[in-house]
Amino acid sequence: MDTNHIVLIANRGEIAVRIAQACHRLGIGFACVYTEEDAASGHLQVARELGGALFRVSSYHDANEILSVADQAGATAVHPGYGFFAEDFRFARRVTTRDRKMIFIGPSWQVIQALGDKINTKRLARSLGVPTVPGSDRPIYDEQEAEKIARSLYEFQLQQGVAHPLVLVKASAGGGGMGIEEVYDIDQFRSVYRSIRNYALRQFKDEGVLIEQRICEFNHLEVQIVADRTGKNPVHFGTRNCSIQSTGRQKRLEVAPGFAPADIKYDFDAAALLDTITSHSLKLAQKVGYDNVGTWEWIVTRDGSPFLMEVNTRIQVENGVSAKIARLNGKPGVDLISEQIRLGLGEPLGYTQSDVSLEGFGIEYRIIAEDPANHFSPWVGRIERFSWEPQPWLSMHTHVPAALDGTPYDIPTEFDPNLALAIVWGADLAEAKARGHAFLDSLVLEGHDKDGSPLQSNVAFLKDRTDGILRFA
Amino acid sequence: MLDITRLLEDIKASPHEEIVIRAPHTGVVAFESCRPGDMVSGVSGEWKERPGTLLATLTRERNPKPVTAMQSGELRELHTELEGKFVEAGTPLAVVRHFLSREEVISMLLKHALHLFTAPERAKYYFTPAVDIKIKTGGSRSVTVHHGMELLIMSRMKRETPVYYTGPGGIIYTVYFKHNQNVDAGAPLLGVCPESQLAVVEELVLRVQTEWKERA
Repeated sequence: MDTNHIVLIANRGEIAVRIAQACHRLGIGFACVYTEEDAASGHLQVARELGGALFRVSSYHDANEILSVADQAGATAVHPGYGFFAEDFRFARRVTTRDRKMIFIGPSWQVIQALGDKINTKRLARSLGVPTVPGSDRPIYDEQEAEKIARSLYEFQLQQGVAHPLVLVKASAGGGGMGIEEVYDIDQFRSVYRSIRNYALRQFKDEGVLIEQRICEFNHLEVQIVADRTGKNPVHFGTRNCSIQSTGRQKRLEVAPGFAPADIKYDFDAAALLDTITSHSLKLAQKVGYDNVGTWEWIVTRDGSPFLMEVNTRIQVENGVSAKIARLNGKPGVDLISEQIRLGLGEPLGYTQSDVSLEGFGIEYRIIAEDPANHFSPWVGRIERFSWEPQPWLSMHTHVPAALDGTPYDIPTEFDPNLALAIVWGADLAEAKARGHAFLDSLVLEGHDKDGSPLQSNVAFLKDRTDGILRFA
Repeated sequence: MLDITRLLEDIKASPHEEIVIRAPHTGVVAFESCRPGDMVSGVSGEWKERPGTLLATLTRERNPKPVTAMQSGELRELHTELEGKFVEAGTPLAVVRHFLSREEVISMLLKHALHLFTAPERAKYYFTPAVDIKIKTGGSRSVTVHHGMELLIMSRMKRETPVYYTGPGGIIYTVYFKHNQNVDAGAPLLGVCPESQLAVVEELVLRVQTEWKERA
């Protein structure tokens, strides 16, 4: 491949570290950005070690900053990571159409526009006969209209025999589980609607709200799609189960593949279900000419009915767990971030679905400074010790300096207190779980807040949930 | 008891503030004609609508951004070695030696006279919708607070939690936080004036207004 590229990494933390490492592996240059609050992040240290340029910017959210730095760094491509500009089609369009054009490492802006919006995705999916979650098919800005939709969803559920109907109110511009509330009592709808609308306005500067039927007792599955710039030959890298989440619906533990029919008995044909969602996902990918990596998010009910929730037109946090079980022509060591960069820069895919196989089970733990007993509220303080026992079956991704060189790290309050991603692999489910426990037992994570209270983390929660993975709760 | 005379004398003994003007964002810098030793003016006008002296222009993505003096004073340093160069956000461009204004002195002294309600954590703060409406219509001094009142929303890491006021009852005399800006833990959010302190606060304001001589 052409290695005369420089990739501007428009992100921070763990994903910036992984993109920098992927660029290094591919033999291409890169540059990183950071803000004043983030000057202690380990992604700066990794960038220095791997020879990447560093630029201080006023904000990760400012497109002018990113593009100005990209020009200064001589970048030929911009990698948005996840969050920030990853699913912003206007940003992708600007990167690729400005006077000094660059490559956007992600799907083309037209694809992001078509699929990046939850509502467009639903429309497209329905046109292909792909089932979607019932609800509003555009952001609602009017309170009366919102209530009307909510009431119709209530009545629909009652007609379906649902004893306790539930409606979800979501910030349309939100994501990652933020800005979502359930409405149990339709008479409370207006107050919940106003609260989410105000939250959405404060956090996302857009008060649009989605109203959806809340499906209870479901598993949250994902299909990892990979395609090259031709958009004609997408392949999938299997499924993931992301059902173990915080109370605020934020993913905490992901498993690949999405079910274990050989080990666990389900009320439906789980193997056939996985085939169904992968084929539906590929069908939609082909329809839109999907041309990079992306994730199709599904809800699967206890009776095995799948509903497409949304498409994330970006690399996701949990890509590594799919890579961990993937084999290309029988070989391990798949790196989906490197694949994303390689394909984004215009390289052909070079393999077909039959070259991709899956082996064993992967578990990804999101290690976060938070208090699971108190609604997973973020913990803020200083990380003093962070270490683990290296294992051949373990991959760790972190930007916390305490783990890289022992330097204490004050968690910046501007960002989520995510500390690391740990991915373990086992030849079978039992081995993956046992290794998950062994890893968590070996983990040393210590720190204090400004009052001297010890660090709080979700490690005990992750341990507790390991045994029940891939089961319907 | 608040010793206004002593506090005022302390400020008079050191009436200047050195203000570092930094690049608000990245860009290529071009300095204007000002030179060290020149007097510059800060933002002025009833609604702060008149910008201060233009010190430099920062061009980013073909958009020129004027970098102006925010306060009046003597230009002590100007980093002209950066002329025509790309600078990162936060790069120091100039230093202004500013003589404190009457308003600034009052603000400094009020921090001694008022009950300061401080930020429990580094976060962004917003008034609750009910209080916000009152402030927008009648100003902060139209709001009376009392111990235990749900007053603010603390927003950090995309989570929002209510903040309850603790301290003596009184009116919100001063608001120290700005919309959408982070406040460090321990930094004042509000200055609350209990009714019993109103006379002291009024005296303080009057003393500064009569005794502090502004400089052009």
